[in-house]
Amino acid sequence: MPQSPSPAAAAGPSGAGALIRSLFRRNEAVLLGCLIVLIVFFSLASDSFLTVRNITNVLGQASLAMVAGIGVGVLVISGEIDVSIGSLAGAVGIPLVVIMNATGSLELGIAAALTLSLLVGAINGYLAAYVGINSLIATLGSMFVIRGAIYLYTGQKAIPDDLALESFYQLGNGRLLGTIPYPALVALVLLVGFIYIMRHRPFGRKLYAVGGNPEVARLAGFNVKRVKFIAFVICSLLAGISGILLSSRLGSAVHVAGLGFEFQVVAAVVLGGVSLAGGIGSLAGVALGVLILYFLANGLGMLNIATEWQLVITGLIIIAAVAFDELKRRRK
Amino acid sequence: MLADATPTRQLAGPGPAMEMTGIGKRFPGVLALEDVSVTFEPGKVHALMGENGAGKSTLIKILAGVYQKDLGTIRIGGIETDLRSPSDAIRQGIKVVFQEIALISEFTVAENIFLERYPVNGMGSISWRTIRNDAAALFERVGFKVDPSAKVGDLPVSQQQMVEIARALAREARIVVMDEPTSSLTPNEVALLFGVIRRLTGLGIAVVYVSHKLDEIFEIADTVTVLRDGRHISTKPVGEHTHDSLIQDMIGRRIENLFPRSRGASRGEVVVKVENLSTDSKLKDISFEARAGEVLGFFGLMGAGRTELAKAITGYDPIRTGRISIGGKPLLPHNTSTGVGLGIGLLSEDRKTEGLMLDLPVLQNTSLAALEQFARYAFVDEGREKSAVQSFVDRFRIKTPNLGQQIKNLSGGNQQKVLLARWLMRGLKVIVVDEPTRGIDVGAKSEIFALIDQLAAEGLAVIMMTSEMPELLGLSDRIAVMAEGRITATMSREDATQESILNAAIA
Repeated sequence: MPQSPSPAAAAGPSGAGALIRSLFRRNEAVLLGCLIVLIVFFSLASDSFLTVRNITNVLGQASLAMVAGIGVGVLVISGEIDVSIGSLAGAVGIPLVVIMNATGSLELGIAAALTLSLLVGAINGYLAAYVGINSLIATLGSMFVIRGAIYLYTGQKAIPDDLALESFYQLGNGRLLGTIPYPALVALVLLVGFIYIMRHRPFGRKLYAVGGNPEVARLAGFNVKRVKFIAFVICSLLAGISGILLSSRLGSAVHVAGLGFEFQVVAAVVLGGVSLAGGIGSLAGVALGVLILYFLANGLGMLNIATEWQLVITGLIIIAAVAFDELKRRRK
Repeated sequence: MLADATPTRQLAGPGPAMEMTGIGKRFPGVLALEDVSVTFEPGKVHALMGENGAGKSTLIKILAGVYQKDLGTIRIGGIETDLRSPSDAIRQGIKVVFQEIALISEFTVAENIFLERYPVNGMGSISWRTIRNDAAALFERVGFKVDPSAKVGDLPVSQQQMVEIARALAREARIVVMDEPTSSLTPNEVALLFGVIRRLTGLGIAVVYVSHKLDEIFEIADTVTVLRDGRHISTKPVGEHTHDSLIQDMIGRRIENLFPRSRGASRGEVVVKVENLSTDSKLKDISFEARAGEVLGFFGLMGAGRTELAKAITGYDPIRTGRISIGGKPLLPHNTSTGVGLGIGLLSEDRKTEGLMLDLPVLQNTSLAALEQFARYAFVDEGREKSAVQSFVDRFRIKTPNLGQQIKNLSGGNQQKVLLARWLMRGLKVIVVDEPTRGIDVGAKSEIFALIDQLAAEGLAVIMMTSEMPELLGLSDRIAVMAEGRITATMSREDATQESILNAAIA
């Protein structure tokens, strides 16, 4: 029987396997390379870029997107998407600050904020996974609903942190040993934890399987709907954590907080090599995608490039990265 | 016992591994299974046979928990059990090797094998080392040459099929079901598979084996059950069967004269000529001619290459070598717009995705291919479009409240008529119809047959791909039989018998 020659067969199975694995590693290696090139370039171009203060500042800002990006990455890998995270990140500030003002307890405020996140994640997950509404549409809906609810509740004004709790301020603005911002630590812990889950826990592999081929996952005995539902809840919880940190940095619950945040995060996730079709990508890639976008914005700012041009450049880079990915995949 | 690569734990006790009694399953419009009872014994290979549509796949999917039975009982190891999901079946030790590859292509071979239950350490972390080692040991034992660390998506289909088979053996099993497991294996690999099957039965596992290949059945099976039209026909030890008696059981029916023919024997000139056609996907060295005014029927079992042929000669799919000419002119360049220009059109077997625009009305669906005819300057003259479509609706007796009705609200038979009308409005010399009555109820079928007959009577060459014997014998003037991408026999309607056709179709 004549077999059609395929590159994999020609290279021999072991050759092909090793090649693919190195390609996968290379995806993150390429991103890391880009990040290093960016940092080197801006260090040479601007005196104030490569300073401890600036680098840690960028890390502090990027960690909010990274925390949310981990959640979105997990969800996109499972084959779904959530664009309501920006609204949710803005919304969690309200229960946080209101409860904190009423009780004087940061812990109770955080608990309320996380409860809201859990609720939103459960609703999104129910609508998308169980009712079967396309997740872009379902979460686009909740994006508007949540933002509208924020405006209704706040009357389009910020709710200040009346008690000026030091612990609340420290959460988003404090630094470990005066250097490393707490949000960066939160992001790092979550990143390591979720990378471990995605690589080494059966649940993480189920997320990949469900995103890669839901029918096969079902035949393998996975509860596809439940896996996706949990992914929505994770995504919302992490968006909520991100929102808590944001609220602390802003010192209040701000009605416009998180506007447009969802698209920054989705852009970073896609830049990091996660396929919107599901089943492909890694959280390490997501983290690198976030860092690239934030260092790029910071560096361009240092060079006094107008924000208008920053937007154009960022957009072009995202398109170029995804096109590069697509071409690479097609050549295989 | 992860270190052991073949199933070591016998779930099988004494008595039958599984008894299915009085199983019934209905899909909208079709009775897929009716009162089917079959018992699978431990340590035996039980073959399931039948033509396409006989109900084998439905039965297997019920076994696997993919479909739920409507009627009947299933007993596993003597205990009545409901298989409500694939995970239920997996828990009961039922392993299915599906015909379509059911693997995650982004995962490695080893991970796919342990997908159903990842081995974990005390902390609940996946033990990747165990997965790699056990997968390697499994392939070692089975004798398949597959690299456990390769990504499945990079492997050729035959290797993927071996991964599928190996996966079913990775853990304790009570019943292993194999649905056409050899369709893309080489003879050597088939021999290895049979070795594996014998080892499984030696462990007391019941093997359910579905195949169209009679030689395989006689070599490996202990018992053969034949299904036909969703009903149980016979269950016998393989020794009591001969080649002919098996085929007789599979056919069995008398062909009624469902299709009155209107046309005589007059045939026109050759309008389709295909010479030495081969494709990368399936077809090998296909040559035939079709004349104006005749129905040329192509018969073949699943995977014989009928749909591939239909798509190749109409320009949908690329070809590697060979020549196709329509009305004396070559189909070059090889694409559908040349094809339609020369007057050949395809009525796809997949109406919903390759034929209809489901949300659009009958009007647009019908006039699609002929829009230029109604064009006045750059606009479509709606009045002419409507009257032309209306004339087809009347002539074909398409049942629709009006031309504005969305096509998805029509019955399957009426949808098929709209598609036929679309091509006729365009003015064709040749129409290729692929499974023209799939998913159409019996009453509408004879109307479609009458239409096809009428088209031939009007001088079209009709090339019909079918897996249904009554349709083939009822409509065709000449019959070509395909198996594994080749034409294995050509005969006139008068000379054809069900036996001769099925013999040529079964490798």
